[in-house]
Amino acid sequence: MKGYLHFPLRTNFLFCLLLLLAEGHAQLPNISRGHLSGSFESYTQFYQPDSKINAILPQDRVGSNNYLKLDYNYNRIAVGIQYESYLPTVAGFPFTLNQSKIVNRYFRYTADKFTIQVGDFYEQFGSGLILRSWENRQIGINNALEGVKLHFNPLPYLNLKGVYGRQRKIFDYANSVVRGLDAEIDFSKLRSNIDPKTRFTVGLSYVSRYQQYTGPDPLFPATVSAYGSRAEISGKSASLSLEYVYKTKDPTPVNGQDKTSGKALLINASVTGKNIGLNLSLRSLENFDYRGERDAIGTQLPVNFVPALTKQHDYLTPNIYVYNAQTAGEAGGQVDLFYNIKGKRNRTSRVAINFAQYRGLSNKNDIFSISSNKYFSDFSIEWKKKWSKSWNTTLAYHNVYYNKSVVEGGIHDNISANILLLNALYKYAKNRSFRFEVQNLFTKQDDGNWAAAVAEFGFAPAFNIYVNDLYNYGVTNIHYTGIGGSYAKGATRFAIGYGRQRAGLICVGGVCRFVPAATGITATLTTTFNN
Amino acid sequence: MRNLLVLGLLTFAVIPALSQNTLPDVKIRNLDGKEVSFSSISSAKDTAIVISFWATWCVPCITEMETLNDQYSEKQKEIPFKILAVSIDDARTISKVKPFVRGRGWDFDFYTDSNHDLKRALNINDIPHILIIKNGSIVYQHTGYTPGNEEELYTKLKMK
Repeated sequence: MKGYLHFPLRTNFLFCLLLLLAEGHAQLPNISRGHLSGSFESYTQFYQPDSKINAILPQDRVGSNNYLKLDYNYNRIAVGIQYESYLPTVAGFPFTLNQSKIVNRYFRYTADKFTIQVGDFYEQFGSGLILRSWENRQIGINNALEGVKLHFNPLPYLNLKGVYGRQRKIFDYANSVVRGLDAEIDFSKLRSNIDPKTRFTVGLSYVSRYQQYTGPDPLFPATVSAYGSRAEISGKSASLSLEYVYKTKDPTPVNGQDKTSGKALLINASVTGKNIGLNLSLRSLENFDYRGERDAIGTQLPVNFVPALTKQHDYLTPNIYVYNAQTAGEAGGQVDLFYNIKGKRNRTSRVAINFAQYRGLSNKNDIFSISSNKYFSDFSIEWKKKWSKSWNTTLAYHNVYYNKSVVEGGIHDNISANILLLNALYKYAKNRSFRFEVQNLFTKQDDGNWAAAVAEFGFAPAFNIYVNDLYNYGVTNIHYTGIGGSYAKGATRFAIGYGRQRAGLICVGGVCRFVPAATGITATLTTTFNN
Repeated sequence: MRNLLVLGLLTFAVIPALSQNTLPDVKIRNLDGKEVSFSSISSAKDTAIVISFWATWCVPCITEMETLNDQYSEKQKEIPFKILAVSIDDARTISKVKPFVRGRGWDFDFYTDSNHDLKRALNINDIPHILIIKNGSIVYQHTGYTPGNEEELYTKLKMK
């Protein structure tokens, strides 16, 4: 107590008031004081030279990405900030920076029929094919818009959205503006307010980007517009949705100064029953790269979102040959089937089958001219079986075709690979578990065969240790060995690992992350609080 | 400087103690695509609500959900609670969510948060992430899943 007695009177008074308020809270539990939420995330790597895997070795051998976020809402008002600190950025990140800054701040007011947000915000129209601003820290994307966004529900069946702003460009802003309008009509609510068994909705969107043009061409499009329409019908056990987006001409280095328009068509259908689900996605697009600045490439300043519609893999070897959507032109789709067979005493078998294939277009302006040039295909079947309360296994087979020249550029052989994978979890006590994974990728092309193994011990509720190895025994004879562990308590988690890492998605110790190629120590600390 | 210190104390010690209720009013969607308000679905008075953030591509999430699913009806007889499973699958995989959960035979209340509005509002870094809400307040959170973590969840659910 002596510590603050010599504070100036005002401060002292304030401090006492705070204590009083804190005490008062115990007696007046019904008074709402709002909700404070925050998080901190630190991803730090210490690198060592490793010429064998061509690891990126930064000059000072340390990379650290740190994020602090605070959000507070009280009744209809919400405010928040995000602070980012790169000391400097981790190796392999899409940009290099040695700086800290408050990058996002917002104020939001929510009324009965509208919400207005000023400052930095995220938004998505439809599936994001026309507009998506989002954040993904692992891959280094944050294209939040800084400006104003308005959501307006004038009628129960009508949902309107408007956005106006400039995109975030690392620690700066793009020198362009993005404007968008979206309207969604729920026809099933036109006549009654009761939730119907079948929903039918139609959406219309308009997005435009203006970036000043100072070149000599009087007809050059400084403003690039996109028009989107979508419709969805969904019932208890089936749904069908269609989305079509047209984009005006937009000559850029990415599309080779193409002076024609771009188009995309996305169709999705699904059927579900008890213990069974089937999904079909078809997508065809051409000249569909849409960015905030004409010179932007890679992960920089996307306006829309064009993900690869394939199975997103969660193990080591299937993540070696991963497809990337080809915005210049592609057509294809995927089908998924999920079903389970209930066994005796909860001994369920769960099966997942996926088939995806993408091809080029024979006429670059016609999204229906599917060519014979295959870019990618993937067939996989996964069988997960619970054998007893303590044992369960996953067995999977993949057949992959990968056109490396198209996906990665350059001239390479096309790759055909087969993958076999076994994952087993043994729970030998109420809070003790052992997991192991063995897998092999067989191919005659590229780097040849790969084998991988993971062993992991879990000591719930807090600890986890693992050792893994990914071994290329076809061409390079390189072992990517890693060892590490984690400690989690409540919403705080600390993980540390040492070893070689190949670029890709890795899921160990309870979470999944994208990581770049490197050798050294990786330490991760994440924490969240909600009060 | 001292004012700053007090302000710091205010933020990190006192506001959390004062704060109650009013969970963020963020819109998420149910599996039919209908928008629902998070604060309304999580404000049940008589039953504890477990929110589980997961995705179709996250193996530890699926292991956790399967464990919870296999014990769900049995545990519900002991403790009044329900599980709201919020998928953070984005446009890449969101169309698989409904066929996936039906095909797995899971039995929770499902929602999607495809552009991560709710994930951001609750400051969730990684998945799986689980929360318990009682009377409109978040009383427990856990990030990551190690087999056996569900025991801690049930213990916390039983606590008054």
